[in-house]
Amino acid sequence: MSNESRSNLILGVSFILFSLLLIFVWIPLDTDSGILEKVRRQVIIGDALAPTLAGVFLLIGGFILVVFERNAPDQSEIDLVNLGFVAMVVLLLAVSFLVMRYTGPALVALANLTRETPLEYRLLRDTAPWKYSGFFIGGTLMIAGLIGLIEGKVTFRTIVIGIVAVLAMIAIYDLPFDDLLLPPNGDV
Amino acid sequence: MGTLDYIWSGVLAVFLGPELFSLFGLPVSVTLVMIFAGFFLGIAVGATPGLAGPIAMAISLPILISVFGYTPDALLPVMGFLIGVMKGATIGGAVPAILFNTPGTPDAYMTTLDGYPMTRKGQARKALRVAHLSSVSGDTFSDIVLIVCAPFLALLVEGYLDLPEKTALLILSLSFIAAVVGGSPAKGLISTGLGLLVAFVGTGEDFYPRLSLGGPVLAQGFPLATAILGVLIVGAVFKELADIWREKRISGELTTIEDSGDQKLGFREIRRLMPHIGRSAVIGTAIGALPGIGSTLAATIGYTVGKARYQKTKSADDPDFGKGAPEGIAATEAANSSVSGANLIPVLSLGIPGNAAAVFLILAADSIGGFNPGPSVFRFTRDAVNPELVIAFGLFTAMFIANILNWTIGGVFMRSMGIMTRIPKQILLPTVLLLTLTAIYVQETRMDAIWFTLGFGVLGYAMRAVAMSPLPFVIAFILGGKLEESARQAFAATGGDPYFLFTHPIAALFMALSVGVIVLTARNSRAKASGATT
Repeated sequence: MSNESRSNLILGVSFILFSLLLIFVWIPLDTDSGILEKVRRQVIIGDALAPTLAGVFLLIGGFILVVFERNAPDQSEIDLVNLGFVAMVVLLLAVSFLVMRYTGPALVALANLTRETPLEYRLLRDTAPWKYSGFFIGGTLMIAGLIGLIEGKVTFRTIVIGIVAVLAMIAIYDLPFDDLLLPPNGDV
Repeated sequence: MGTLDYIWSGVLAVFLGPELFSLFGLPVSVTLVMIFAGFFLGIAVGATPGLAGPIAMAISLPILISVFGYTPDALLPVMGFLIGVMKGATIGGAVPAILFNTPGTPDAYMTTLDGYPMTRKGQARKALRVAHLSSVSGDTFSDIVLIVCAPFLALLVEGYLDLPEKTALLILSLSFIAAVVGGSPAKGLISTGLGLLVAFVGTGEDFYPRLSLGGPVLAQGFPLATAILGVLIVGAVFKELADIWREKRISGELTTIEDSGDQKLGFREIRRLMPHIGRSAVIGTAIGALPGIGSTLAATIGYTVGKARYQKTKSADDPDFGKGAPEGIAATEAANSSVSGANLIPVLSLGIPGNAAAVFLILAADSIGGFNPGPSVFRFTRDAVNPELVIAFGLFTAMFIANILNWTIGGVFMRSMGIMTRIPKQILLPTVLLLTLTAIYVQETRMDAIWFTLGFGVLGYAMRAVAMSPLPFVIAFILGGKLEESARQAFAATGGDPYFLFTHPIAALFMALSVGVIVLTARNSRAKASGATT
């Protein structure tokens, strides 16, 4: 943190540019009606007005940041190392949820190799143990992976913690309720 | 029905609602049990570093809705539980701050200033007792003000504000929140603008869902839970994970300190603390009644004012503020706890949420249906029953039950929660993250919701990284639809007058105040900036 940081200036200019792009390019191209419309000889508010107001908030905010708060004390400096860590966290989460999404169908496809009448995951998504497979593998990967990322190593203990936490969540969200579907079973 | 009938119906709705079991032949209603459960969960969550009331609310909401369903009967048990969590977390938050110098929430930071030095002197349990007394006193005072003020304010709004004025009031609230939350009006405005923008994606009155980039993914807009939980909870978890990862490289060991001296709180000490508690309760309540101003500012002002007063009256032997003075804990805890009740004044009377807990109450009301926080709640209809008003008095009753729990068993339970501070954050946070994402999926049942939440989590982290408060974003997201709807109605009602915000005197006053608050705070920031550079 220091007042020599230019983060407010960069942030302000970025939001001024974004708001101009929003107001003059995105909104006109991506809404059906303008700011005010004439429908059946009556003037009504069109769909473009509200997002334009949002753009005005962003524009004024960016402007104040550049003009009034450019030299504000205690400006935050972007910590690239922290940013890298958060990027890894997001990547791990994305991989975990992809594993969660595709583990069940993949296991069913594997099981089908040895079966004459093929199974379909969609029909099994509310049947144990199939319905737990994706959540169990993906959830354990996520929790153990995150603990491992912070501690710098993945141990037997972190995997056990992941398994116990996921089993506890299955016990909370699934076992007592017939109408709740764990991820990814709601839309496979 | 008369006013007293409504109040009595609200009380009865809590005590004589659907029965869960009977105790010595007396029926125990499910709402009562839910308030108890929420209260204990709230203390446990508040006492756990890295967790806070909103996280517990986020995780439990889909479970509660699944249990109680989408009927008006679900409102009191679910919202009673959330109120219990809110109250419990308020007192629980002081535990890690006092015992381990790790404030669970930003407003508990000021509690560490005197609480942790008291712990180091072996006075931990006494410090917890001071925190409990101050917190509960402030909270109770704030609730009384809420119950007295909210109906009057709502009636005033209904009686005097028409559609143009209501639109201008929403703009004033957004400007005010943008200007005062987080200390930078510019960043507040940007946060508000982003919240509004996200609220307007995929919505509107045209056949084509606006700003959806022509694809099906954004066509339905962003579900409320994904934006709120993503920015508030997932963003906070990302930030916390990054912080502990960084701290790990320079981490130190916590030392164990034995208790020493008298841990009880005597009558003379309570009498000495009362002026600090009273002053801070008034400060916290006044600040809490303004939407968007959180408990952190209340704690800071309560502590600063208390410190100035203490310096004039203390004897030479008393420790200074910041060196383990019980008065420091009292001034802080009474101020930050008295915000929570008062923060519900704008929610119940105007439908404008003031803090994260209020956001979750609105989310619950929105998900279940049958209760729309706002001025219409307080219509004292005589010929027909207004069920929303009965619910409102039921909520007030729930708050008082939680307060009674706070006064009676809250202190003991709070002091026993020291154990929660021993759960390592690197285990807790990933578990909380999966719990939150699972809670969202269970509610929305589509993977898109998880991706949206992660996206909003990244946005929440980025906002925190550049010191931009995410609260204006969340409040703008909630109010965005309401603002557009009320503007459309006002425009139509005034016969298509494009200047409807400026031709009605009260609306024009609100608009002038909106501009004024932004200009004033921006000028203050500039003065601060030039002061720092000279």
